[in-house]
Amino acid sequence: MRIETCYFCSSKIYPGHGIQFVRNDCKIFRFCRSKCHRAFKRKKNPRKVRWTKAHRKAAGKELAIDPSFEFEKRRNVPVKYSREAWQKTLDAIKKVTEIKERRQDNFVLQRLRKGREVEIQMDVKDVQRNISLIRSPAAGLKERRAREEAQEAALMDEDMPEEEITYVDARELEKKLEEGATMEDIEMMKA
Amino acid sequence: MGMVQKRKKMHSGDTHLRRRWRVRSRRRDLDQIDDDLQTKSAELINQQVDLEQTGFAQFYCVHCAKYFIDDHAMQAHFRTKVHKRRMKALELEPYTVEEAERAAGQGSYKAPKKRVIRTQPTKEEVKKGKRIQLEEKLEEDEAPKSKRKVEKMQT
Repeated sequence: MRIETCYFCSSKIYPGHGIQFVRNDCKIFRFCRSKCHRAFKRKKNPRKVRWTKAHRKAAGKELAIDPSFEFEKRRNVPVKYSREAWQKTLDAIKKVTEIKERRQDNFVLQRLRKGREVEIQMDVKDVQRNISLIRSPAAGLKERRAREEAQEAALMDEDMPEEEITYVDARELEKKLEEGATMEDIEMMKA
Repeated sequence: MGMVQKRKKMHSGDTHLRRRWRVRSRRRDLDQIDDDLQTKSAELINQQVDLEQTGFAQFYCVHCAKYFIDDHAMQAHFRTKVHKRRMKALELEPYTVEEAERAAGQGSYKAPKKRVIRTQPTKEEVKKGKRIQLEEKLEEDEAPKSKRKVEKMQT
């Protein structure tokens, strides 16, 4: 007695369930339910049908590559019964399934986290683009204008002293130049 | 009077494909054809005379698992959409029971390989020693194609 896997959706087939098809080259195809059998008869490709395990693993929806998948195997040679080995395997199975489930859950969480980040980015972009819906562009327009006018007026006021300063600077420069010239003249005179 | 009139489904699942889905009209599956291509393509192309078969089994398309009456019909078939579609379907390695088991958790997932599929060589070429070979399609081969497309778009 063995729990088989469905050819189409890779689910478990318990004894007394499903149907199997034996092709004329002795290959056995087992199906868990009529849904999978019907899909097979219609020559559907399980890789392209979204609800199958094969599709989900190929598309990276589930944990697909992991050493925890190496424990389950088809063993065609029966192991001689011994109580100790039986107990140990039972413990091991429990531990392995626990680890496997944790890893699978973690994989899905990590996959969804990426989507959350993208979502946040999209939200930020959305707000930036449609900021006018939240805050009217005309809000505080009068105040802003008044402030701008005041600033301009202030600038106009500031313009005068600035010019004076430059004027003063120029004078000083001239003086310095004159001095330099005089110094040169003196030197020239000395020479 | 305001009642929802639901259409009765009298012919759900009635399709012309029903007969093709019957077990007795099954043809060779893709994985069988893949096996043919890899192991016994030469024997299939260069078959012995069989009076029971179409065209005495002299004109056989390995990819479509189909006999033809003469070379002309076979060459015409190579140009059809049915044949091209089949070659496209064979590009990826076919789905197997082993892949189903791997997906169920017996072993890690293995991505199916992509191959280059060309129409079969003629009988004369096979007699000289040419065989169908499935070369793996490299990703490098695909990259220049897209580049070429881009160049075409620009020009």
